[in-house]
Amino acid sequence: MGKDTMGQSHIPPVWRWVGERGLRIVTGEATLAYYAALISQGLPEIEDLVPADGSLLLILRRGTGVSAELRAALTALPVDEPMKQGALHEIAVEYGGIAGPDLPGLAEQAGMDAASYINRHTAAEYSVAFLGFQPGFPYLQGLPRALHARRRASPRVRVAAGSVAIGGTYTGIYPASGPGGWHIIGRTTVALFDPQREAPALLAAGDRVRFVPI
Amino acid sequence: MIEVLRAGLCDLVMDLGWPGWGALGVPAGGAGDPAALAAANALVGNNEMAAGLEVTLLGPLLRFPLGGVVALTGAPFAATRSSGAALAWNQTLVLAAGETLSLERAETGCRCWLAVRGGLAVPPVMGSRSTFLPAGFGGHLGRALQGGDVLPCGTPAGAVRLLRARTPSNAQAAPLRVVAGPQLGQFDDAGLAAFFAGTYRVNAASDRRGLRLRGPAVTHAQSALPSQGVLPGAVQVPPDGQPIILGWDGPVTGGYPVIAAIISADLPRLAQLRAGDAVRFVTMELERARALAEAAWEIEELA
Repeated sequence: MGKDTMGQSHIPPVWRWVGERGLRIVTGEATLAYYAALISQGLPEIEDLVPADGSLLLILRRGTGVSAELRAALTALPVDEPMKQGALHEIAVEYGGIAGPDLPGLAEQAGMDAASYINRHTAAEYSVAFLGFQPGFPYLQGLPRALHARRRASPRVRVAAGSVAIGGTYTGIYPASGPGGWHIIGRTTVALFDPQREAPALLAAGDRVRFVPI
Repeated sequence: MIEVLRAGLCDLVMDLGWPGWGALGVPAGGAGDPAALAAANALVGNNEMAAGLEVTLLGPLLRFPLGGVVALTGAPFAATRSSGAALAWNQTLVLAAGETLSLERAETGCRCWLAVRGGLAVPPVMGSRSTFLPAGFGGHLGRALQGGDVLPCGTPAGAVRLLRARTPSNAQAAPLRVVAGPQLGQFDDAGLAAFFAGTYRVNAASDRRGLRLRGPAVTHAQSALPSQGVLPGAVQVPPDGQPIILGWDGPVTGGYPVIAAIISADLPRLAQLRAGDAVRFVTMELERARALAEAAWEIEELA
């Protein structure tokens, strides 16, 4: 979807300020390439980088602006360099029942039975577009079109940790319990986020994920 | 060492947070007014990175079995010391062994910061001692203090100096100054007029993740948006038109249009807003916002 709109040329990206320290760069399909390139350059004025859906937010350190180096980096990013494939994670999921209360409704809406819905969800290989919403929450792209579903009209006050969910064109996993507006189809016991680990998030942007039913 | 005899409403161990983990979905967190915490640390001779306590609205009763050197900055609270000695904000205080410090309630504003000489020595998580309540990690056991807790303090270095801090000028009643947000164009004229002319009230459902406002609906021309990176001070408007100012523990990405962003110089004011307070907005050019350096605290010897 939209791969051809990215282009291989070095057109300077569009950017907009979010306050004095946030610089939002429109990156289209090349978000992770921009992210990787900026990380590797280690520019001192960048305090943090937040990849998202077709854009990258640069958070600049207090009192700094866009240096000539940063400007040059943004206009000369190697957007046509192939990204190396991320690690593949197999995540065991208990589908339906108490673990996945929204599965029957979503399956019906998609015009299939629950087993077919599960088959479609497990047959696809997903890639982590970005992490957001909660620490370690992966926005997984690659959800078959038939499974796309608008978010719930009213969010749940509490979604269990490990819930596997559908939100729009994405599937995702809630690392911690809390409020949530996505449809819950199953649950995993895998720890997606542990601040005590050297790499606190199990998944990184660019990693690949397969769901395995249990 | 500090013993918590009675916990306040939400006493959190805080330092300056952990910027740099945004790609994992972790916001920078840390004290709601980093300069105020840093000033309190300076008053007790700590490094500005030391952890202190962030106290919200109703404070704790703390006992210092070995005594200690502390300082308070931020919102003035009704407060007492068991010794009966004077309890002033913005200056070095020396507590005797066994003395208790009671922070009752905020007289104005919402939050104050307590620094302790040596710093609160809770184990750092991801490079910070701040508490991150939304995911329950960091600080003291990932939660607000409870009665019976005991907080370890670090070993201080150097001589104690009696200091006083001058707070930067504070215009808490003035409108919050904002710069235009990246999706300003997704709002219609009526929505923009409501936002920039209206008076909003802080809703009780507000916390460190965000200040929820109630007031004239900010109507969208287009409310759909792919998830984008956001940061504290960004003002999001969900489909119901009621703005949310993202806080220090807010999500790193959001799917609602950002109409405006609070300027850096006014971010500390967000920490002092409480439920029911009135909020208005006034727009400012980005270059002017940049020129307003974040208000500086001055530290001087106590005469």
